[in-house]
Amino acid sequence: MEEKPKITARDVNVFYGDNQALFGVGIDIPANNVTALIGPSGCGKSTFLRCINRMNDVIEGCSVRGNIHIDDANIYDAHLDVVELRARVGMVFQKPNPFPKSIYDNVAYGPRIHGQATSKADLDNIVEKSLRRAGLWEEVKDRLAAIGSGLSGGQQQRLCIARAIAVSPDVILMDEPCSALDPIATAIIEDLIEELRNKYTIVMVTHSMQQAARVSQKTAYFHLGKLVEFGNTSDIFTRPQFEQTEAYISGKIG
Amino acid sequence: MAHILSSFDEDFTQINATIAQLGGIAEAQLLEVTDYLEKRKVDGLDALIARDKELDKLDQDLHEQAIRLIALRAPMAQDLRRVIVALKVASSLERIGDYSKNIAKRSKVVIPAQLDGAPMASLIRMSGMVQEMLHSVMDAYMEMDANLADEIRARDLEVDKLHTSLFKSLLEAITEQPDKVAIGSHLLFIAKNIERIGDYATNIAEQVYFLVHGEFPSDERQKADTSSLTQDD
Repeated sequence: MEEKPKITARDVNVFYGDNQALFGVGIDIPANNVTALIGPSGCGKSTFLRCINRMNDVIEGCSVRGNIHIDDANIYDAHLDVVELRARVGMVFQKPNPFPKSIYDNVAYGPRIHGQATSKADLDNIVEKSLRRAGLWEEVKDRLAAIGSGLSGGQQQRLCIARAIAVSPDVILMDEPCSALDPIATAIIEDLIEELRNKYTIVMVTHSMQQAARVSQKTAYFHLGKLVEFGNTSDIFTRPQFEQTEAYISGKIG
Repeated sequence: MAHILSSFDEDFTQINATIAQLGGIAEAQLLEVTDYLEKRKVDGLDALIARDKELDKLDQDLHEQAIRLIALRAPMAQDLRRVIVALKVASSLERIGDYSKNIAKRSKVVIPAQLDGAPMASLIRMSGMVQEMLHSVMDAYMEMDANLADEIRARDLEVDKLHTSLFKSLLEAITEQPDKVAIGSHLLFIAKNIERIGDYATNIAEQVYFLVHGEFPSDERQKADTSSLTQDD
């Protein structure tokens, strides 16, 4: 039996002013999988990613039409609390962006503002658990008071992942999470992503075909604002159904 | 459609050139050894046997080219299939060369001897059929023509039938001339080797189908070679 999708998008159209960036996107993203969004620059993959936690709301002139549900909740419902949504749907960006605070405070920030910790011990516990899940605890446990931006690039990105999971999200969005990292730091993050999918649903934008092939179970190919093809990663990279997909993943033009 | 990175296409051009050479030599070896059998001449068979080393060398070259392409280009989808299929086709052609070499070795013994009733004309006809299959399948590979590949798979049925009948004729000839068992056995092996080359050509045809469609032909290929079921009366 097919499991119920975690995220369901139907006929999603996005406009930046008069410019339409997404055209009728419909997709069912399964829970506890890594779904990679791929496609050339300007294809709409990042726009779609930002629809999932309503990051587009903050962009002047941007309007989103259509439906996106996470579980059974319509995330574009007028009564929905966007702050709460962003706790459920965490995000990790291309460039590690730790707050100019200590390692501890970076992770504790979310649980504090969402009132998720009742005591200092509780908060300590969340910080440790999140850093452990992000695979960073052993490296930073003796210097939690040090500033987050003092860590290496790969460590900073894992700190951002720890920060995202500290508020117990269901979904983690990643926008090219490794593009600023060296191959070893990338491998560590990819290994972590594989681990995290047991607990979270991960949607990731990547420009690296190899990364999409390595870490995702599902791949969606976007082109000119449309979802061209969506399927099992193993199928997309071995025998895509559409010529556009084939051309893109093999680096062809003609 | 061409790759944006043009050196990627050049790598494939090089791989295709190696396969074309392999195919050309493998076909020529079979053609020539059959000619020796038909004309009953032995001078020059040693040179033909020595030439098999060229196929081994080209097969090794192809492996190096394929591994380099995989490592440096990380091919996807049909590109990936092209490399994997090239590796398998090269190995098949190398094996085909080994069979021709083996036929040549046995021919050195068979040609000067005489086995009455040996179906030499049929043997040579079967070799011609197989050589045509090999020629066509190399065209199918180069043109990525899955329809032609499919047609070649069907031709193997005729080869199998002919082999079964050859096998029976040879057994009869051996039975009647018990002092010619060695010659008869060599001829049995020669016939079997030719039939096996047909099987390898069929394998290449299946690889071409896979290259084009991303999956193997679903229908189970009919088999007509029943020689392995032959019993004593």
